[in-house]
Amino acid sequence: MISVSNLSYAFKIGKKGKENIVPVLHDVNLQVAEGEIVAVVGRSGSGKSTLLNLISGFIQPEVGNITINRTNLSKFSESKWAEFRLNHLGFIFQSFQLIPSMSAFENVELPLVLKGVSVPERKVRTEEMLKRVGLESFKNHYPGELSGGQQQRVSIARALILNPPLILADEPTGSLDSENEKQLLSFIKELNEKYGITFLMITHDHEVASIAHRKVEIIDGYLREGRMLHEVQR
Amino acid sequence: MKFKDKHRFVRSNMKKNRTRVWMTILASTIGCAFLIMLASIGFAIHKTAVDDVMSFRMVNEIQVQKESGMMTENDVKKLEQIEGVKAVTRKKYTPANQLSIGEYNTFANVISAHMPSEEKAGFELDKGRMPKNKNEIVVGYHFAEELRKDQPENALEGLSEEEAQKRMKELSYKGNLLNETLKYHLKTDNPEIKIEGPVQTVDVKIVGIGKKPTRDWAHDNSVFITEDLYNEVISILGKQDPKIASADELKNYGDVKAFTASADDVKEVTDRIEKLDYMTYSIIKELKQMNVYFTLFKAGLIFIGAIAVLIASIGIFNTMTMAVTERSQDIGIMKAIGATPKTVKRIFLLESAYIGLWGVGLGTLLAYITSYGVNFALPIIIEQFVNETPPEGFMLSYIPWSLTAIAVTICMGVTLLSGWRPAAKATTVDVLKALRRDV
Ligand SMILES: Nc1ncnc2c1ncn2[C@@H]1O[C@H](COP(=O)(O)OP(=O)(O)O)[C@@H](O)[C@H]1O
Ligand SMILES: [Mg+2]
Repeated sequence: MISVSNLSYAFKIGKKGKENIVPVLHDVNLQVAEGEIVAVVGRSGSGKSTLLNLISGFIQPEVGNITINRTNLSKFSESKWAEFRLNHLGFIFQSFQLIPSMSAFENVELPLVLKGVSVPERKVRTEEMLKRVGLESFKNHYPGELSGGQQQRVSIARALILNPPLILADEPTGSLDSENEKQLLSFIKELNEKYGITFLMITHDHEVASIAHRKVEIIDGYLREGRMLHEVQR
Repeated sequence: MKFKDKHRFVRSNMKKNRTRVWMTILASTIGCAFLIMLASIGFAIHKTAVDDVMSFRMVNEIQVQKESGMMTENDVKKLEQIEGVKAVTRKKYTPANQLSIGEYNTFANVISAHMPSEEKAGFELDKGRMPKNKNEIVVGYHFAEELRKDQPENALEGLSEEEAQKRMKELSYKGNLLNETLKYHLKTDNPEIKIEGPVQTVDVKIVGIGKKPTRDWAHDNSVFITEDLYNEVISILGKQDPKIASADELKNYGDVKAFTASADDVKEVTDRIEKLDYMTYSIIKELKQMNVYFTLFKAGLIFIGAIAVLIASIGIFNTMTMAVTERSQDIGIMKAIGATPKTVKRIFLLESAYIGLWGVGLGTLLAYITSYGVNFALPIIIEQFVNETPPEGFMLSYIPWSLTAIAVTICMGVTLLSGWRPAAKATTVDVLKALRRDV
């Protein structure tokens, strides 16, 4: 599903001409198979988010290759990336990233709107999705009127609405209490088992990592394949 | 993203900051209205000038002359052959000018005309028809006024101008002249020639009365006789005055005009006539020169008006820049989910276009209302304070469709131009920065 090879990345800080180069990722290689849940762990500042942002196309790599679904994304333009994200990727963020001026319904509907789906079809699909995450009675609420757990469910609904084969999640449980965290994890597991959706999740929480099939660790920008989780647990 | 969705999206965005959006629209409204109003003065002056020229002559009329000498029968034949010429009218001055009915008398401007051509050229009648037979005539609209009872030569002496005019009016013929028969006095207008005995007359019947001239001050008391009658008259006058019998100018035409089917043909036909070495004069020629001058004048006014639009567009630029800054987080989220830069750009361009459209729409409406108001009120004000009536059909402001189209184009163009940079800026919003903002 995902194939990252020889990926390196460095941030450039400061004014042009006398910029500081901060290397973050070094020669990263990562394979994620279809239907896998892979957890990326590592200390804060080790480069986990940077790796995920590269795979999401939010930043462009200078060295290395990224392939998703057999599509080589290294030379993609900004608009090609946008189209690719819309059609193939779902996102779950730590801070939900809902548009505050849009209702829960409108937030979930947004990818369908961007895709150009007709209004009646949009209504049916959005309502169905809200039902699936248990928010049908909150559809007219604005993000500010929802709890953290509810907001995260809206954002998951939005990530799922176009049925992406791959979901990228950067610390999805980071802003949730343990009750909501448990619910979210079991939902992710269910999605993976029922629909074969692939997950690449960043987490520093071992509880979260427990649902993953595989764990990789980033240490100071270098990626190490971890052991299978059941081995760790044992 | 479908247009309908963009539209909905933009509308809900605009509603979030109603006051700011309306203030921006107000500025564009005023700018656009100012542009139209200012230019409309130029358009009004131009139109007045054109109408002025056109009221003298018909647009499809080409006056034709020779470099030297008068136009002959032969020349007329040649003109009639030219492609695109609908009719050639030719007139001759007739050197006998007295007509009478009962005790009423007048000295008129008697002209012979080729009636079938006049009819084809569109001679305009107030009443009656064009002459068909030799002794039928058409008279000018004011002919009856000039037909007066005889009076002693010193009758007006000692009277004020007003009284004299009133007296003259009282003496004028009052009845309907149509189908009346008049006596045409066949005496040459050369005062040196004296005739013994009674003057020979010929009966002529008025079958048509010409249309009132468009100008208030124009006074038409001419008499149009047929060419057949003219020839008869000249042969009689020739016996009184030997000069008449030999005069070239009485055989040839003093006034020859070619008419085209429509004003659009005038230029082509003029070229063809000039190729045959005639000199031409047409309203189109005169208007062309006038138009150059007025077009420059109007362009100047539009330029000044456009500055107001430009100032208003700074408001649009500010509003859109603020909108982009305020919504950069939303933009970032949308880009993260999969909105292309093109979509983002279109959304913001659409928003500035809506502001522009509202401004242009309201501005045009305001301009039309103001224009109407000014044209309505100004004559009243002039009458009140300056004590003078403005000329009929007076206009200070005239907004033709072309002006509206120009103004709409300028306003929309400037609006889109000023919305371009903010929209382009929206596409460069950094996804990561936007997503990190509230963490
Ligand atoms: N936009 C940025 N500009 C410069 N340096 C950055 C930027 N984002 C992250 N970094 C640096 O890159 C390193 C890795 O960051 P990140 O990938 O966010 O770590 P993690 O998600 O593992 O906590 C950190 O040292 C951080 O300071
Ligand atoms: Mg991180």
